[in-house]
Amino acid sequence: MEILKDDIKLSVRGLYKKYDGKDVLNRISFDVKQGEFLSVLGPSGCGKTTLLRILIGLETQTDGEILIDGKDVSKLKPNERGMGIIFQNYALFPNMTVFENVEYALKLNKELKFQSKAIAERTLEQIGMMEHKDKKPNQLSGGQQQRVAIARTLALNPKVILLDEPISALDVTNREIMKKELKDIQKKFNSTMIFITHEQEEAFYLADRIMVMSEGNIEQLDTPKNIYDNPANKYVEDFVLAHLDQKLESLLKCTGKIAHE
Amino acid sequence: MNNRTYKGLRLFIVVFLFVSVVFPLISLLLNIEFADFGKVLSSPQFSDMMFNSIVATGASTIISVTIAFILAWCVNRSNIKFKAILAVLFTLPMLIPSISHGMGLVLLLGSNGLLTNLLGINIELYGFTGIILGSILYSFPVAFLMLTDIFKYEDYTTYEAAQVLGLTKKQQFTTITLPNMRKTMISVIFAVFTMIFTDYGVPLVVGGTVMTLPVYMYREVIGLLNFSTGAIIGLVLLIPAFVAFIIDLKAEENGNTSTITKGYIITKNKARDVFSSIYCIVVLVIISLPILAFALLSVVKQYPIDMSFSLENIAQAFDLGVGMYLQNSLAISLVTALVGLCTIYFTAYINARSKKTFTNGMIHLISMLSLAVPGVVLGLCYVLFFKGTFIYGTLAIIVLVNTIHFFASPYLLAYNSLSKFNKNMEDISETMGISKMRMLLDVYVPCTRETIIEIFSYLFVNAMVTISAVSFLANFKNMPIALMIPQFDSQSLIEATAFISLLILFVNITVKLAIYLLKRHIAKQEV
Ligand SMILES: Nc1ncnc2c1ncn2[C@@H]1O[C@H](COP(=O)(O)OP(=O)(O)OP(=O)(O)O)[C@@H](O)[C@H]1O
Ligand SMILES: [Mg+2]
Repeated sequence: MEILKDDIKLSVRGLYKKYDGKDVLNRISFDVKQGEFLSVLGPSGCGKTTLLRILIGLETQTDGEILIDGKDVSKLKPNERGMGIIFQNYALFPNMTVFENVEYALKLNKELKFQSKAIAERTLEQIGMMEHKDKKPNQLSGGQQQRVAIARTLALNPKVILLDEPISALDVTNREIMKKELKDIQKKFNSTMIFITHEQEEAFYLADRIMVMSEGNIEQLDTPKNIYDNPANKYVEDFVLAHLDQKLESLLKCTGKIAHE
Repeated sequence: MNNRTYKGLRLFIVVFLFVSVVFPLISLLLNIEFADFGKVLSSPQFSDMMFNSIVATGASTIISVTIAFILAWCVNRSNIKFKAILAVLFTLPMLIPSISHGMGLVLLLGSNGLLTNLLGINIELYGFTGIILGSILYSFPVAFLMLTDIFKYEDYTTYEAAQVLGLTKKQQFTTITLPNMRKTMISVIFAVFTMIFTDYGVPLVVGGTVMTLPVYMYREVIGLLNFSTGAIIGLVLLIPAFVAFIIDLKAEENGNTSTITKGYIITKNKARDVFSSIYCIVVLVIISLPILAFALLSVVKQYPIDMSFSLENIAQAFDLGVGMYLQNSLAISLVTALVGLCTIYFTAYINARSKKTFTNGMIHLISMLSLAVPGVVLGLCYVLFFKGTFIYGTLAIIVLVNTIHFFASPYLLAYNSLSKFNKNMEDISETMGISKMRMLLDVYVPCTRETIIEIFSYLFVNAMVTISAVSFLANFKNMPIALMIPQFDSQSLIEATAFISLLILFVNITVKLAIYLLKRHIAKQEV
């Protein structure tokens, strides 16, 4: 048991959030292991973004605590929690080159500033963006911009990376490419990632475990296979499985047709 | 640099806005003696002035906006040549003080005016004619600029749809163009009305026996030191600007839905282009006549007796201290532009890039409030509030009053361009440990250089031409050069006033040109 406990990177205990008298998160608890890819799946408005923003400290919870490596970080500032966040709309610094975007926060960091250049270079290299290092964000495609945003976060070596629907803004083709790439990056850096999405396939493709949410509650938290085989309740069945089956059916129909002709 | 710097500066802004806007306005109200209220407002003199002001302002506004509308249409909806240069030339009148427009009319159409003598005409200039003509000259460039915006940012796809539906040009104009313009049109009309209604410069020199409210207020305060009466008139002058302010706030709440998908495509039409060219040329001639008059009067020996070339008038003007007052004005304009830019930009940054808290909302409202306070009223507020303090009578108070007087427009400009950035920018910087001040200096300032330059130029030029807010605050030491015009006019030193108008125009054109070159340089760098 002791060993298992060491393995836990992030631990959320009884997290509760109330906005204007409305409960947005209902005392939820869950753990994320080191190197794990957790997908948070749920419909619009169920509190996914709120959860991420509280984890990193951009919002304050009404109650509950957040532990990283067993230490309570609830009272720390966002930049002291050892987490990084990536948004759907990249939020790159428009006046800086790709390289400067990655290097900027490093240069301002007391401990990292002497190696800022080397770290930025290495990260861009690993993410495959070195050839674009002198371009400005507006000269990049959406997928490339997202890669820079990821590199910018990775460079600070966060313990946990939070991603709020990071590929939803991309077109279908790029989304598929980025999906694969994200998984590769996660493996390569052995990062712990929490990935928000309202797309069932995305969650099933990427995640080690999926957390299905509805209106501030966790409906089920398990591996994709277990969720598919044993949905915890009607909600999971309707929201997750029914949708996946529908997708599958239409796929089969298409391929069936092609085979026919 | 950490967030303490930011918080400190934010606190400073709050205090600054209270001291320089809220408290002076309150002291205006406190200085009204209630006994005077009924006396002033019920006097037959007051109703006469009210009548004069409303008639003159109303007529000027209608004519001015109409002229500007046709002009904006000609420049933006026809295929005439040199559009860009024309658009700049039409705003030249904004580079001289309002009173110079009055003086220009005197030089051209006065009893001994250039045109009066040349064409042998005799217009009774002094009175409504003069006020209306001068006010039109003074205000139409502002209306032109505002109206150009609507023509520029119209979505052509609606016109294409109309063409498909078979609507005629006339139908398109009434069903698309006019409704599109309604909101801006209301803003333009209010802005122009307020501008003219509260200006004392034009009626002071060409009003003759027709007394308007701002001239009366000016005389009461400057000549008789009658602050209570001045404050009551000031309150009346506040009304139209205040109404406009409320309407604009409402309009802002509704949000501007400016999603242009396609710029306007101008069709071929010979008749329209000929008309546009002639119209533009006529306007251009009218604009340049007073400027030519200023130039001529500055360099002839003695108009109209001895028309030989001479620099005597200029030398005399310098003897009268024009050099010193020019230096004053340059210093005031430069410091106003720099101090104003920093305060205004930072205030806009607070509101555009932070959570909407109560304090921020208040800062936003006070920042916009200066739109509702006419220059003369603000000046009087400052006299009443700052009299006796160490800042009174210095260049600093002139800089302060200018900064507040011209706060709102550049504030909105900065606010809008800072609001355009990604909404998650602050989330990112906060989680990466980048302070708000660093973001400001390293990201926002470099990204909004054009806006910053624009604000600088706006503040400089306006500080150079203003005669309203500064009029009650200036003494012989800190007086800006524009205020020498009414002074010299009252001493019948007409040639000197012409030279000063020319000088102000020259300085402003130089600054505008420098700004233009700087902008082009930056644009080139970015490619
Ligand atoms: N600042 C706020 N003030 C008040 N209510 C808020 C605030 N932010 C979020 N909420 C409410 O909290 C609930 C959850 O919002 P949240 O943004 O976390 O949903 P989400 O699951 O991320 O949805 P989406 O998939 O649409 O992004 C919503 O009902 C929302 O209206
Ligand atoms: Mg969300």
